[in-house]
Amino acid sequence: MATTSAPTPTKVPAPAKAPGREERDQREFGWNVMVWNDPITLMSYVVLVLRRLFGYDHATATRLMLQVHNEGRAVVATQPREQAEVSVAQLHSFGLQATLGRP
Amino acid sequence: MAQVLRRRGRIQVKVNRSEREALIGIIDSLSPRLAAPLATAPRAYDDAKLQAEYDRWVRPDIEKGREVDLTMVRDALSGGEDTLPLTEAQTLVWLRAFNHLRVAAGEILGIEGDGWEDTATEATKQKPEYGVLIALGYLQEELVAALDS
Repeated sequence: MATTSAPTPTKVPAPAKAPGREERDQREFGWNVMVWNDPITLMSYVVLVLRRLFGYDHATATRLMLQVHNEGRAVVATQPREQAEVSVAQLHSFGLQATLGRP
Repeated sequence: MAQVLRRRGRIQVKVNRSEREALIGIIDSLSPRLAAPLATAPRAYDDAKLQAEYDRWVRPDIEKGREVDLTMVRDALSGGEDTLPLTEAQTLVWLRAFNHLRVAAGEILGIEGDGWEDTATEATKQKPEYGVLIALGYLQEELVAALDS
């Protein structure tokens, strides 16, 4: 007779910890649209593009443009990834140097 | 020099025959440069895989748009009129087209940093691309001012 032994409990790997809400929000919505300085593009043109694409008033767009000029780059928007990619593509279509990435 | 005016809510570019011919010549001379991938073509992502996707799915539309911008301006200049009325949307097309051309000119000149206007040598200033940067920069400023007024 075959002996039976008490069943060995199967070791089940602990489920991966579900990302918390903050982490999900960061992943989904926290993509920075960054504009980089370049020596050719006119300051007034950058201000115009930021106003047209993001709806900023003149003062805000000018502040962001000056940040790009003085510091080399500026985050001009934080958006969900797909929207951020569209924004970057629009900035590229205007000839600006732009990237998107997580903070 | 060509003038940009805003009257009764409409933008007009006044550009005589020789100026139109010069602008068409700039477009024709720099368009091949723009058709090739520019060394300065902006990246979207640091991540190589995401960048490859962007290059495959998004960049072709951007490059097509650049070509359309230049064609629209060239067609307008080829119409034989000294006064060219522009809608706001058309003005943005002109602004983009001039920026594309300035970026190409800057790349040819090897400009890599701010202050190039102050540090350019006499030899650089004699190059046609330098004239393109200055002339189209002036027109861009005028178009931006017209949109803002």
